[in-house]
Amino acid sequence: MTQELSKQSNRLQDGGRIDRSKPLTFTYNGKQYKGFEGDTLASALLANGVDIVGRSFKYSRPRGIVAAGAEEPNAIMQIGSTEATQIPNVRATQQSLYNGLVASTTNGWPNVDNDLMSWVGKVGGKMMPPGFYYKTFMYPKSMWETYESYIRKAAGLGRAPKENDPDIYDKMNQHCDVLIVGAGPAGLMAALTAARAGARVIIADEQNEFGGSLLSTTEALNGKPAAEWVAEVVEELSGFDDVLMLPNSQVNGYHDHNFLTIQQHCTDQFADRAPNGQIAQRLHRVRAKWVILATGAHERPLVYGNNDLPGCMVANAVSTYINRYGVAPGKDLVLMTSNDNAYRTALDWHDAGRNVVAIVDSRKNPQGTFVEAARERGISILVSSGVIEAHGSKRVTDVSIAPLNEVGDAIVGSVVKMAADTVATSGGWSPVIHLSCHTGARPVWNDDIVGFTPGVTVQKQLTAGAINGAFSTVQVLDEGLSAACDALAHLGLSKPDVVLPEADVIEEGKAMALFHIPHTKPTSKAPKQFVDYQNDVTAAGIELACREGFESIEHVKRYTAMGFGTDQGKLGNINGMAIAAKMLKQTIPETGTTIFRPNYTPVTFGAIAGRDCGELFDPKRYTAMHAWHVERGAKFEDVGQWKRAWYYPQGNETMQEALDRECLATRNSVGILDASTLGKIDIQGKDAREFLGRVYSNAWAKLAVGKCRYGLMCGEDGMVFDDGVTSCLAENHFLMTTTSGGAARVLSWLEIYHQTEWPELEVYFNSVTDHWSTMTISGPNSRKLLEKLTDYDVSKDNMAFMDWKPMTVAGVPARVFRISFTGELSFEINVQANYGLHVWKELFEKGAEFDLTPYGTETMHILRAEKGFIIAGQDTDGSVHPFDLGMSWAVSMQKPFSFIGKRGMQREDCVRENRKQLVGLKTLDPKAVLPEGAQGVLDPKAPIPMPMVGHVTSSYWSANLNRSVAMGFVKGGLDKMGEKVYYPLADGRVIEAEICSPVFLDPKGERQNV
Amino acid sequence: MSDVTVEAMEGKVVTNQLPTGAIVGESPLHHSDLASIAEKGPQQGGVHFHERKLKGLLTLRCTPSVEQLSLIESLLGVALPMQPLTSVTADAISVRWMSPDEWLIIVDGEQAFELETRFQEKFSGHYALVNISGGTTIFEVSGSHVVDMLKKSTPVDLHASEFPVGKVVSTVFAKSGATICRLADEKFELVVRRSFADYLWLWIQDASREYGLVVKA
Repeated sequence: MTQELSKQSNRLQDGGRIDRSKPLTFTYNGKQYKGFEGDTLASALLANGVDIVGRSFKYSRPRGIVAAGAEEPNAIMQIGSTEATQIPNVRATQQSLYNGLVASTTNGWPNVDNDLMSWVGKVGGKMMPPGFYYKTFMYPKSMWETYESYIRKAAGLGRAPKENDPDIYDKMNQHCDVLIVGAGPAGLMAALTAARAGARVIIADEQNEFGGSLLSTTEALNGKPAAEWVAEVVEELSGFDDVLMLPNSQVNGYHDHNFLTIQQHCTDQFADRAPNGQIAQRLHRVRAKWVILATGAHERPLVYGNNDLPGCMVANAVSTYINRYGVAPGKDLVLMTSNDNAYRTALDWHDAGRNVVAIVDSRKNPQGTFVEAARERGISILVSSGVIEAHGSKRVTDVSIAPLNEVGDAIVGSVVKMAADTVATSGGWSPVIHLSCHTGARPVWNDDIVGFTPGVTVQKQLTAGAINGAFSTVQVLDEGLSAACDALAHLGLSKPDVVLPEADVIEEGKAMALFHIPHTKPTSKAPKQFVDYQNDVTAAGIELACREGFESIEHVKRYTAMGFGTDQGKLGNINGMAIAAKMLKQTIPETGTTIFRPNYTPVTFGAIAGRDCGELFDPKRYTAMHAWHVERGAKFEDVGQWKRAWYYPQGNETMQEALDRECLATRNSVGILDASTLGKIDIQGKDAREFLGRVYSNAWAKLAVGKCRYGLMCGEDGMVFDDGVTSCLAENHFLMTTTSGGAARVLSWLEIYHQTEWPELEVYFNSVTDHWSTMTISGPNSRKLLEKLTDYDVSKDNMAFMDWKPMTVAGVPARVFRISFTGELSFEINVQANYGLHVWKELFEKGAEFDLTPYGTETMHILRAEKGFIIAGQDTDGSVHPFDLGMSWAVSMQKPFSFIGKRGMQREDCVRENRKQLVGLKTLDPKAVLPEGAQGVLDPKAPIPMPMVGHVTSSYWSANLNRSVAMGFVKGGLDKMGEKVYYPLADGRVIEAEICSPVFLDPKGERQNV
Repeated sequence: MSDVTVEAMEGKVVTNQLPTGAIVGESPLHHSDLASIAEKGPQQGGVHFHERKLKGLLTLRCTPSVEQLSLIESLLGVALPMQPLTSVTADAISVRWMSPDEWLIIVDGEQAFELETRFQEKFSGHYALVNISGGTTIFEVSGSHVVDMLKKSTPVDLHASEFPVGKVVSTVFAKSGATICRLADEKFELVVRRSFADYLWLWIQDASREYGLVVKA
């Protein structure tokens, strides 16, 4: 242990919440270090005396750890011991240390300690002044790509893994009465109160243990160390079934209707890769009846010259490292403050046995409990003074201190230089209002605390503690209690017995509003005074923006990049606004604030994707015969979410060879298609027939029981959106079929019209798509095959084309429809889906003698194209009505009641001359297959741009006809039969085609009518 | 036509859709061979899965009058649950409220046609009773971590105070949907569509992994 300690130069001999008996080894920038269980990566780095953790974005200046929580702007790491487990943009202050952790800085090129780019900073950063992006966008535009790659590299945004992440990320939906964000004193008090009242509580905190500020305070609660009270509360909370405690969990987004997202680090806090099957990170999707924001406050650093040198830190962070992690991050401290609170840091430093050089207080006459304590310890206090500049190259070595005037905006005496390696500063506390802003609430300035507090919200949201500007422990605990009581009252739960723990009473003197410490030189000439470390925004940059005419704080933000990106202005926003306000000669509330958006800290893509990846990315829908298709070596195609057999290659067949074989087999003998995916809707009721007449363009009044009819469905605009065959099962009972992809839409369409337009019609619609397995046997031998499997008389006389009959097929009751999408004699056999595969296999058993050939969707497309049958969605695109398709036979203008689309298809534009109309396209060269999508022209010699007359919608090689077949749109095409149309292709060829009927095969329909 | 019963009263067709004899139906998860997994797979785990297969499932649509309600009760043997999101579970029949004019009826596979016939014969007025047995299957999920698994899958609140035994909701389940009914504190029934069954089975396996999944025959 001693050995471990001796290597950690800044580690204290005792104290803190780390376990010195559990040393951990980690690697940072390729070098091994030791830390202890309970450390964060940041505390372990500081313990080891690592000063530089990155290089700044614009000026490439060396940067050190500034803070101890989510607000850390500099220590942004790339974590991961293998390529596959890389995580970018992790704040070292939020990453628990574990054995074997591998971290590297995300910026600093080629390395942080000796950066080739630092000359940029030294020559004054003129390469990227504020507004660099905008000025570059304006001119010279051609250079942007060059700049971008260079900025990317310099900006240190981390990188995504190049390999698949082996870890599991998932999501969980949560519901609760009260969601408490933050488990500091306010959050814990609220949780305890709500839990005792029997409420369903979720309490989340970004830290690895609950307690918040109480984990690093020296204050007592109930006369004992505050951490003991924390332990008692945590113990009690864990005993409630309805309390979910989420440490290592950031509430990252606060969305509408009290929906919040929490990113929980489940195992990546202690392992590079989740142990066997465990979840690495989980995104909780929480719906809370009430939300209590107990998010606390971030201490605000002061802005002074070279305030970004490693060794310059936020005061409270220094205390946290000492008290919680047993790390004193330096030897000689100068504390600069505008308030009493920060005196605690000097006390902690002193009590840790380190040297406090001086407390530099901007106020004239500081008084209060902590001030007295400092005086008692003999610490030197310089009043009415400020640190105007830090000196050093890779770490602070000295500071310049100067007397300030009463308001802190001018130097009123001579500058003294003191040696120090650490500068802690405090300009007061900024409430963490980020989540409250996510709801759209505008923050409200509060002069008393010199900060913004949450604005009026429309959400069921309460706030407690430092977020409201209540900073003393007594006040914070009390606010936690009352917020919980408010929530309980809203929930109708009664207040339980709770007693506030007794906290130390602390007298604090009035704080001073101070943001930007003046320098002996004007801001533009002074050493850089950083406002936003992460985005390298300086006081001079903000002043320049104001001088250039940016008056709105939103514009200043965008011009300078202040508060951009993953930082979200946690440390710098208010200082920046104060500087802008001063330049604009107005108050901070007049200047206003920018607001924050989700997410509070970066979220991994893994957590966002959850389990919706890989095999589970999107549902795959299967028919009852799917296993057979797989076994038969089918290639599949996606139709909606369905996996449909596309074609069934045999041996070394190419796709075209397989298609030719399938097409010929079907037309010459018999083929079979799994058509189970077709949408099927059972329609019942005495008004079913009337309803059909209104939603289809054709007539349904006279369709007899036992008969089937093809119908076109149009939108209000008269454009075709779906088609299919509907069969009359009984007088008041129909079965509608739809396209595979259109099933859900058609059912909704029917319901919308029934529920909103014609509720008086007595009709019910029910989806039976999945209930029936549908197999179509098609070809001249299809009847012979069917006869082998049924006793029913399926002769032409008993079962004519467009009849349906109930019969038993292969021992299974079936509905058989004599409808055809191939133009061949066809039977569509429907059986209850649990028997689909049985019947399918029986068909093959009996079909062997006819060489029954399975065919997929591609052969189906070819066979129907030979017959000129359209596919809704391929030969239609929402801009064509039935007349454009040459399907006037499927429109009945005589129906007593109107039908959907009737008015639309009679609009002036729909009846004009020269609309694009669907025609057949017969290539002059029978071997030439037009590419689908090719645009036709009437004059191939016309100058470019040639007037285009329409595109090819369907085009295939037809083995049956030994030539190509195609359909496409041609302006006025129905009147241009026999005329020529030309298709100039990208490769320079021009394919010539004759406009013809789309029916290439068996124009009289004799084959299907046998 | 002796082996297929067709009736056309009320202008509707009711057909026996099940074969007689030795032909065995194959449920949507038939290909997964759950019986073998049940035998050879893990016997301990936080989530138990069982496919209650080849049941008779029917959708009843109607807006019943008082007289029709009592008629329906006599036809079903149980009263129709009229309160939204409630259900009735008896030995031979379960009824799930689906929407203000829709119920899901679950009976043994062979009972579906009998029930359809009973309605066809006795019920008058506007209604629809549609057999969806082939298009659906039932997953029964249970165990000490069943709620955790479900919380990964559906946004509905499953806490006993909000989702007591007997409650039924039809809602989003992963990227598909399910009709979820709580059968006991740690036992739920999911009625899912045939074509999505494999996806949902994969999803449940995945979501159960950290708790251990036990397949029950």
